[in-house]
Amino acid sequence: MADEAMIAVRDAWLTYGRGASAVSVLRGASLDVPAGQSLAVTGPSGSGKSTLLMVLGGLERPDRGAVSVAGENLVALSEDALTAFRGRSMGIVFQSFHLIPTMTALENVAVPLELAHAPAPRERALAELAAVGLADRADHYPAELSGGEQQRVAIARALAPRPAVLLADEPTGNLDEATGAEIADLMFASCRERGQTLVLVTHDMALAAQCARIVRVSEGRIAEFAVGEAAA
Amino acid sequence: MPLALVLALREMRGGLRGFYVFLACIALGTGTIAAVNSLAFGLTDGIRAEGQAILGGDAAFSLIHRQASAEERAFLEARGAVSTVATLRAMARTLDGERQSLVELKGIDGAYPLYGAASLRSGEALQAVLAPAPEGEPVPAVVEPSFLETTGLAVGDDFALGRVEARVAGVIAREPDRLSGGIAFGPRVMVPIGALERAGLVGVGSLVRWRYRLAGRDGPLPDDALKALVREAGEAFPSAGWRIETRTEAAPGLERSIDRFAQFLTLVGLTSLAVGGVGVANAVRAYLARKRQTIATLRALGAPGRLVFATYFVQIVLLAAIGIAVGLVLGALAPPLAAAFLADLLPVSGLMRVFPGALALAALYGLLTAVAFAIWPLASAYAVRPSALFRDEGPAPKSPIRWRFVAATGGAIALLAALAVAAAYDRWLAAIYVGAAAAVFLTLRVVALLIVAGARALPRSGSTVVRLAIANIHRRGALTPTVTLSLGLSLTLLVTLSLVDGNLRRTLLSRLPAEAPSFFFLDIQDSERDAFAAALTALAPTAELRTQPMLRGRIVAINGTRSEDWPDTEASWVLRGDRGITYDQALPANSEVVTGAWWPPEGPAGNELSFASDLAGELGVGVGDVVRINVLGREVEATISNLRTVEWETLSINFVMIFSPNVFAGAPHAHLATLTFPGGAGEEQELALLREVSAEFPTVTAIRVKEALETVNGVVQDLVTAIRAAAALTLIASVLVLAGTLAASHRARIYDAVILKTLGARRRTLIGAYTLEYLILGGTAALFGVGAGVVAARFIAVELMELEFVFLPLAALSAVALAVAIAVALGLVGTWRALGEQPARVLRNL
Ligand SMILES: Nc1ncnc2c1ncn2[C@@H]1O[C@H](COP(=O)(O)OP(=O)(O)OP(=O)(O)O)[C@@H](O)[C@H]1O
Ligand SMILES: [Mg+2]
Repeated sequence: MADEAMIAVRDAWLTYGRGASAVSVLRGASLDVPAGQSLAVTGPSGSGKSTLLMVLGGLERPDRGAVSVAGENLVALSEDALTAFRGRSMGIVFQSFHLIPTMTALENVAVPLELAHAPAPRERALAELAAVGLADRADHYPAELSGGEQQRVAIARALAPRPAVLLADEPTGNLDEATGAEIADLMFASCRERGQTLVLVTHDMALAAQCARIVRVSEGRIAEFAVGEAAA
Repeated sequence: MPLALVLALREMRGGLRGFYVFLACIALGTGTIAAVNSLAFGLTDGIRAEGQAILGGDAAFSLIHRQASAEERAFLEARGAVSTVATLRAMARTLDGERQSLVELKGIDGAYPLYGAASLRSGEALQAVLAPAPEGEPVPAVVEPSFLETTGLAVGDDFALGRVEARVAGVIAREPDRLSGGIAFGPRVMVPIGALERAGLVGVGSLVRWRYRLAGRDGPLPDDALKALVREAGEAFPSAGWRIETRTEAAPGLERSIDRFAQFLTLVGLTSLAVGGVGVANAVRAYLARKRQTIATLRALGAPGRLVFATYFVQIVLLAAIGIAVGLVLGALAPPLAAAFLADLLPVSGLMRVFPGALALAALYGLLTAVAFAIWPLASAYAVRPSALFRDEGPAPKSPIRWRFVAATGGAIALLAALAVAAAYDRWLAAIYVGAAAAVFLTLRVVALLIVAGARALPRSGSTVVRLAIANIHRRGALTPTVTLSLGLSLTLLVTLSLVDGNLRRTLLSRLPAEAPSFFFLDIQDSERDAFAAALTALAPTAELRTQPMLRGRIVAINGTRSEDWPDTEASWVLRGDRGITYDQALPANSEVVTGAWWPPEGPAGNELSFASDLAGELGVGVGDVVRINVLGREVEATISNLRTVEWETLSINFVMIFSPNVFAGAPHAHLATLTFPGGAGEEQELALLREVSAEFPTVTAIRVKEALETVNGVVQDLVTAIRAAAALTLIASVLVLAGTLAASHRARIYDAVILKTLGARRRTLIGAYTLEYLILGGTAALFGVGAGVVAARFIAVELMELEFVFLPLAALSAVALAVAIAVALGLVGTWRALGEQPARVLRNL
């Protein structure tokens, strides 16, 4: 089982700060996610959900423990290798979109492709935009798009390099219910179609329930929340 | 297109907002350097191109006191067309004796000018107007317009010149060889050369300079013919004592002055660039702070740090290119513009073009500055981590020092310094400048660190205002380093400039010492000396008259080393032209022998001379050295037997060299006299005396010291104005940078201020805290600025301008106090206004 896991975290420890102000966020967290699974991560505020996501994305190194994604041992990779790996194999969606304001929607989506030196980046980006229903807004700047549209562009951007893993940190947190549901549908649909592994951090239990599996972060560890819940 | 360039161009779609100070700094510095170097090149070119006209021929042989011998003339005439010109200072008076003027008199022959064109305002031909008059008729003279103003004469009027009557026959419009003379103490008057003799102005030992200009009979002499001419002249007449100049170096003194002034202005340009560099660094830092989110996103999407750095580096280079382009346009416009103003003073024909070399140099300076000051803040792009996207991390955490960027910054700065030194006219001065600039930057950095450390170490104050102010100074991301640097630089510049200016003005306006003479009289013939002395004693019984034999001579060699081959020093001017020399039996009253001994009253056994001790030191000569000097076409040798002090600033008769009387026994010469009224004399008294003397001794040249000083001061005043205008450029740069820094700090703190206000902090508390913070920073920067400014101003005044330096506390302190007050006020107005509005409105607009 562990061999086939797309994501494997073993006994990860992570402490922010030092001395009296030290905050021990991860204390022996372990997690296996098989390829193609959709996983919801829940937990109280400040429990370390975003931190866990950063560890999975190679944006944060655990002090101790092993993290492997798509067979790569993230702990052993150099900073540059990690960056390249992230560009190739991982898509990240943020709560506050983080589109680059000086680039059009199309250019935003094309950036990861350009960075990976993929062929025909603009054409592929346009296809991704079309997939999220924004082909006609390709030349608009982020400031000219609504929050929901911006998040759709962000998802197109995350999906464009066809990553094996999609990480999302409260992607619907800044959107109203209906728009949030649309965004979630987009993500689930893409994952199903492309066989992507999805890790979704959310407070929204209804959204979490759409995932194949739910875990809960508390006291620096990860526990199964509702094993075997039926997938949507 | 490389990816970094693609990304850079996309990022620049935001426009130039936030970069105006950056652009202005680069444009100003680049423009100054481009303009200065273009001007220097152009003027030097002009002097070279107009060399023949300025010199008056392909070559010029000049003699003082004596005319060329028949053999010498024959030698010259065998080699080309010769034109003889004689110049001297003389007195012109109205016929009623009411007004007189010291004039720069020039006698020309029928061949004048060999090159260039002389013209009159009336359009008549110069030679036709100056055709020698028959005996008994007034001598025709053409004059500069200012002559008519001082004398009240008009064209057609007669006046007295020496012993003859002359008639104003025309007004000079253009004199092609005007620059070959020195500083003019009076208006130019031109007469036929034969008239000088008739006017009794070419007596024995008179200070007449005879110039024999030579031009090829069919077209200019080729360079090798010119070289041969100089060599043959030296061989044929080894002791003629003439100075030979050729068209390739028509005005070496002027070229040197232009180079020196260009050097000074280049330092001014470099200062604007160095100050501008701070503006560059601030702008880049602020820009990257705004772009943190974008950078983090790029990193999260898989952009390596290298690519991010390259993206922003390319943007900075592109922006710098825009600034440089603006600067180059300004720099290219400067020469033709300057030509319009300088046309009367300098050969401006070389200024009507673009100087690619000067522009390239300026562009290189601009680019290096931008790079040197941008790399360091750009390196912080590496420190931005994608995790910033998950939560607002605030100011970037301290990243480990990246040695690559330290090396790159160091390399760019070293290149900049090397360029500044290599391109300088005076390398030593440039090196000192570079060292001083580095010291100022480093010290300000240390000062900022000390302020932060001091603020951190202070115990918590009970007052909210003080607590807020202190916390603002040392919190993470505090503005202390940038504000300290900008303010410190501005204040240093301000203090330096105000002190230099103050000292210049003080020197200019300083009144003559009470014991300064009222008159110098030149060209008193030996035969009329006693009569002259008696007449002056009768006219001014209370005044003291001192006379001194006066000859002009040129040092040919020292210890057998020819003057041309003597090592170049500060005092080399002593060796270049001819100097006034004298002989005396006794040591002058105001001098002291510092080395060696004065000759005994009965005179030394051999030829001896006394040298001014300060110049001897600079020149590297001392007691026992043998000086060979050419006087009146004769060469004599004398041994330096003593060095004596000379008080140059007292304006009494001072000579570099005094010979023992036996050296010139029997040599014909004239006398120089000074007349000093105890306690000074009034204008009326001096003018009355001048009238009497010039009527009674028409061939004696009287120089009124006050007028001469005014003339010199006029020249100095023009120079001061030029220096001020140039210095103003650096101040503009520093004000720009300071305003930019304050604006950035203002933006950063309005947010804090409004949040604090919504939390209940009163406007008075906040403003009090910010005022205190600025006052602490401003006060420290002011302390530093005064200290560094005094050192810099002292150096400039004493070493470069050779002025006496006095610390003018009022000038320095008032400048600083005003600057700090304005800075604090500027820093606060915006905050005050923002705090007056509804917090919600401000928050929404942030
Ligand atoms: N740089 C840091 N230094 C110290 N502590 C930190 C740092 N970054 C995060 N923390 C702490 O780590 C803990 C976990 O933060 P994290 O952002 O992972 O929580 P979260 O579960 O995502 O919370 P939320 O649901 O509110 O987003 C928090 O208590 C936070 O205070
Ligand atoms: Mg979170």
